[in-house]
Amino acid sequence: MSDYGTPPPPPPGGGTTPPGGATPPPAPGYNQPMGGGQPPKNYLVWAILSTILCCLPLGVASIVFAAQVNGKWASGDHAGAVASSEKAKKFAIASAVVGLIGGIIYAVFVLPNLDTSGSM
Amino acid sequence: MTIVNAAPAPTTRGWRGVALPAATAAGAVAAVAFVGAVDPNQAGHYPTCPFLAATGYWCPGCGSLRAIHALAHLDVATALARNPFTVLTVVGFAVAFVVWVRRRWLGQPRTYVAPAWLLYSLLAGVLAFWVLRNVPGWTWLSPA
Repeated sequence: MSDYGTPPPPPPGGGTTPPGGATPPPAPGYNQPMGGGQPPKNYLVWAILSTILCCLPLGVASIVFAAQVNGKWASGDHAGAVASSEKAKKFAIASAVVGLIGGIIYAVFVLPNLDTSGSM
Repeated sequence: MTIVNAAPAPTTRGWRGVALPAATAAGAVAAVAFVGAVDPNQAGHYPTCPFLAATGYWCPGCGSLRAIHALAHLDVATALARNPFTVLTVVGFAVAFVVWVRRRWLGQPRTYVAPAWLLYSLLAGVLAFWVLRNVPGWTWLSPA
């Protein structure tokens, strides 16, 4: 699983430059962390739940994004951490949807024509 | 120019703060009670793991329902035999839940960030578990 266009960590003491190119107002002194300093959610619980309960590939990818959130936050790349957090959130929602649809398909199509092979 | 501090997010604490953890706990108890009552050892109660059905190999989650069923009946040995990773996960979630409730009760912001290497270790552990439980001779890791 690769990084999707990770911006490099901002230089120490400087402000982050958004990819759009607009010059941000210079922040005096030091970097103010976005959002009042709360690290973004990494949705690790959802990643683990989808790994062991329903959607293995989505779960494994979610663990990668969760690790990216924490790694980028710790290295000062707060915008990157927020971006990884958004991806982790999308994957968590995707696993929930896939799990729900799978359960519905099972209940509608498989249960009525049940054979007795295997179990989870 | 002055440094503008972001206004601190309004914190909820006390009983209102722990409403979300309480709802989560209620959902978890309901789910565990269901899996405890509807036996996953009997075919037809739950869908077969799609990965197992398609490939014939165990995935890291195979046996998790049977492990939760065993845990619901306080049978830790059987739970470990079905899926040891699930048992570890339950322990980890329980610890995280206690930390979460305490933080919400006190209305504190989340400040701790687990080191990334720990999460990459978790990833490596899951992948290793996935491979090893399919290796002949390592069946103690598999539900079989």
